[in-house]
Amino acid sequence: MSEPERLLTLTNLTVSRAGAARPELDHISTAVEARETVVILGEAGSGKDALMRALARALDDGETQTGSIRYGAIGQGSESAGVMRAAYLPGPISKPLSPNASAVSQLARVIARKLGAPQASGRAEFAQEIARLDGAPPLAAFEKRAGEIPNEILAWGLLAAALAQTPDLLLVDHLFEGLAPKAARVLEGALLAAKARLNCTLICATMNTDTALRLGGRLIVMRHGRIVEEGPLQRLATAQAHAYTQTLFKDATPRERSAQRGQPVVQALRIALNGENRTRDEINFELRRGASLALVGEEGSGRHRLARMILGMDRLEKGRIVFDAVDIGILSPDMMSRLRRRVAIIAGADDVLDPRMSLWDTVAEPLRAHLHLRGDLVAQYRESALRRVGLASLPGHLPISSLSAFDRRRLQVARAIVTAPVLAIVDEPFRGLDAFAQSVIRDLLQSFRAEEGPAFLVITADFAVARALADEAMVLRERRIVERGALADILRAPKDPYARALVAASRLDVPGTLSSAAAGG
Amino acid sequence: MSAVGNAAPAASPPLRAIIRGAGFIGLGVIGVVVGLADVLARAPANAENVGPPLLPPSAQFPFGTDILGRDMASETLHALAVTATAAGFGALVTVLAGGLLGFLAARLPWGLGLFSRWIAGVLGAVPTLLLGILLIGLTERSFAPLAAGLAAAPIAFLRSFDRARELSFSRHAEFARATGISRNALLRRDLAYEFRDTFLVNATRALAAVAIILSTVSFLGFGATPPHRDLGLMIGAARDTYFDHWWTATFPAAALALLILCARLAAALEEGERP
Repeated sequence: MSEPERLLTLTNLTVSRAGAARPELDHISTAVEARETVVILGEAGSGKDALMRALARALDDGETQTGSIRYGAIGQGSESAGVMRAAYLPGPISKPLSPNASAVSQLARVIARKLGAPQASGRAEFAQEIARLDGAPPLAAFEKRAGEIPNEILAWGLLAAALAQTPDLLLVDHLFEGLAPKAARVLEGALLAAKARLNCTLICATMNTDTALRLGGRLIVMRHGRIVEEGPLQRLATAQAHAYTQTLFKDATPRERSAQRGQPVVQALRIALNGENRTRDEINFELRRGASLALVGEEGSGRHRLARMILGMDRLEKGRIVFDAVDIGILSPDMMSRLRRRVAIIAGADDVLDPRMSLWDTVAEPLRAHLHLRGDLVAQYRESALRRVGLASLPGHLPISSLSAFDRRRLQVARAIVTAPVLAIVDEPFRGLDAFAQSVIRDLLQSFRAEEGPAFLVITADFAVARALADEAMVLRERRIVERGALADILRAPKDPYARALVAASRLDVPGTLSSAAAGG
Repeated sequence: MSAVGNAAPAASPPLRAIIRGAGFIGLGVIGVVVGLADVLARAPANAENVGPPLLPPSAQFPFGTDILGRDMASETLHALAVTATAAGFGALVTVLAGGLLGFLAARLPWGLGLFSRWIAGVLGAVPTLLLGILLIGLTERSFAPLAAGLAAAPIAFLRSFDRARELSFSRHAEFARATGISRNALLRRDLAYEFRDTFLVNATRALAAVAIILSTVSFLGFGATPPHRDLGLMIGAARDTYFDHWWTATFPAAALALLILCARLAAALEEGERP
């Protein structure tokens, strides 16, 4: 049996950023064999991003590197280092493409530059690769401007562009982050199939343990710029692993956090919103973890009253509500308040955040008030959440009153993320936002739902919003349910005239709108 | 604890900043003068026969002398120190007993909170000056700063109570409660931000109000007593000589007006707890 061929050797690799208190990578030493699959797992700030940048030779301007990266038996920087082809595959959530230019032309340009070929060849290579990928959307889907393409589709384009370079080493940087679980699984399958076809080495950085488990291979767990441990994933995903690794597998995968995956979060039993005692007006429903239900109706239809009842803020006149396995009717106000800590709300109003508070305090408040965490941990979670919503670059002391509606909406998502809720109430989340902001918020909410796994209760009058965020719907009118069922069924053939009117009013087929983008995704 | 319910139209933010800046500079200068009063004054407090009686302003005695031959400049400095110190203490009492308690009372159970507001409303309906005199009568003259502070407190209580109610019914408070932020956490949040945003305005507004109450009470003979003379007592002592010897009341009155003006400017000319 021949010795495995060593593709990469890292020796005391240190990456520091000017002005930072500690290095992003702190004396990393490891090796990667040819054709190996390596998953680099860690939280935000663990150093995995810096490691990927170093491997891709794409350090930022302010970063300096010491130590060495040897590609095969040849040192980095020598002329023959280029013999090995490495392709860098970023995730769509990092917005690697210019939003205003055609995605296919940008990706073709990348391929052409890497292969040293004309752009027309790059486009042909891209088309061939898309055709090879099982489950990929057609080439036409990438003709649009990158900003108009949903992340689930864009991810295929980025994968195809990387594979078209026929790399020996594929550096996958958070490709699956922010994608819906189903889309992520199909993409992971395609990536593994492509790796087998190209017989290349795969290094994948992720903060998602589900992705790590599905990709398999060798796991490198990172924290604070250092390797906590490395080894076969089958071992590290068990109780034999380092305590931190166990925490990651426990905490970073909400759906596997407990045995309650799929268990009911909210059960409404014989609720009456209109104060009448007729059986046909009773509302019964169940919302399970990971599921998403839209309450569709106009103002005064009872949507908000129902949400307030679920939160124990309005008295139940009839029936009962079980929240996270607790009958809220028996709870004192203080106990109900404690139960509400497991709820996040993202509302389409600009006055739901205290205008006097700062950006940092708004995100950190639930952590301080609910969990009494240490300051450094609060800062860590806060930064991670702000980075996910794209607000990490703003000064932390900025008062809410000075933020735009778009920033406030993203801040609400960040605040929701840090609470790790079991239920997220999403109330007209796109109200008052422009098309671009709507698409960003939609992606953030979809990513939030996919990664944190809360039950979603979507309150809206617009079926386009419901379709972007929910799987099922209840249509309310005058505090009664007039239609309920799978959203797709209601959209296809609404039975009730009122539901039909709402569907017709939702402009689900207008190109370029949120609805059409959601449909595309 | 709040700046709600201003009767006067609010100045634009830049103008407001200029006004407040001027007020704080003035108060700072007064603070320095008060701190150095013993050094700046040529004569100790209440020192008689420093010069001839009722000497008009001159190079030797810039503010003249009073009927007992006291140097009016030195006396005005000492009296300003007494008035400013007492008013500062009284203002603190107003902010704590009025503003803070009003803020906390708004979080009491519904009936109890409204009852406390009703009590404050009744006390607030009594002219502040009379309330001050009543409180001094119930205690003694040396408690005048405390009494003046307490007399101004009901109005501060009402303003603060209403502001706290407004905050607790705001959308952001409801949002916080809906996500499990406790009443205590919300109270801490509101207190911290209100203190940060309005403490100086409220304290300086109360300073002006308490300075007026204290000086008036002393002028009427219910406040400071010799040898610790404040500006009100100095003006009151000049009743018999003022019409023939204008300087005996003019300089203490100007010093008092300056203190009140600076405090009101620092409060951005917001209407406050007025006697």
